[in-house]
Amino acid sequence: MSLISKLFFFFTLLFFSSNAYTESYVKAGESLIWDSENKSYTANGDVEFKNDKFLAFADKMIADYIEENNDEIFTVIELFGNVVIEFEEETFKGNYAIYTRDNNIIKLTGDVSIESPTRLLTGNELIADIDNNKRILNSANKESLVEVLLENNAND
Amino acid sequence: MINYLGNKILNTLIIIFLGAQCLIFFLNQKPLTKNFSQKNITVENFSSIVLSNSGITKIGSEKLNKIDEDNIYLEGNSYLENKEYKIYGKNISINLSEEISKSDENVEVINSMGLLKAQGFKNLDNDNKIFFKGEVEFVINK
Repeated sequence: MSLISKLFFFFTLLFFSSNAYTESYVKAGESLIWDSENKSYTANGDVEFKNDKFLAFADKMIADYIEENNDEIFTVIELFGNVVIEFEEETFKGNYAIYTRDNNIIKLTGDVSIESPTRLLTGNELIADIDNNKRILNSANKESLVEVLLENNAND
Repeated sequence: MINYLGNKILNTLIIIFLGAQCLIFFLNQKPLTKNFSQKNITVENFSSIVLSNSGITKIGSEKLNKIDEDNIYLEGNSYLENKEYKIYGKNISINLSEEISKSDENVEVINSMGLLKAQGFKNLDNDNKIFFKGEVEFVINK
């Protein structure tokens, strides 16, 4: 293998390995408040939050954290106003959302919708159980309960 | 009679001298204190440790300007560092009595969660709150 080929291979590997690394972040358009006494971060204005599970957008976010082995870890994340959460091929929308790290459940309320490549469902409350790949959508009149089980081959 | 008048004059002179001494002492002391408290002090390539209610904070800057007894101004590249965070910025004002530091310049903060970049900050040390202004990006450690 020539030197140029080796260099090309090396830089290609470097490019893909850097892209494979998914970083977690919080972005805010207006402000961010770090309250170390109450162990929380409050972000305001065009908030964007990404972790290893999902990507979320909202007007405001409050994230509670704990300290473990000298590291801070988010435990509960609340999103307020124009909430959009992108999880794999699904998009959840609502007016308010709360994510709990312990059970990996996202709960959305207020004009919620769940959109996947094959369907769009709307309601008033959505509970997305990420670990068990289960979605529960409650309708506005609370007379009917819609449970959507998503298969990996939903496109079939 | 002459002795009586002489004693009286002598006592009066002693009282006048003592009064003059007090006046001179008072006039000498007051301006000195006033001048000292208003004096601005500038130190270049400065670093120091500040003890406050929240603990020990290390501060440093290219140029430190002492505004008055309570206020200092860290001019140029500056930093604040304690057990919870390291703040790197420019032109940081510090009120020592209220334990407030702030800047309207770009700032980078490293804490145990990650690296934060903002367009300014206000640190209320007594309340354990830091307000970051403008567009904020906080990259979290894996």
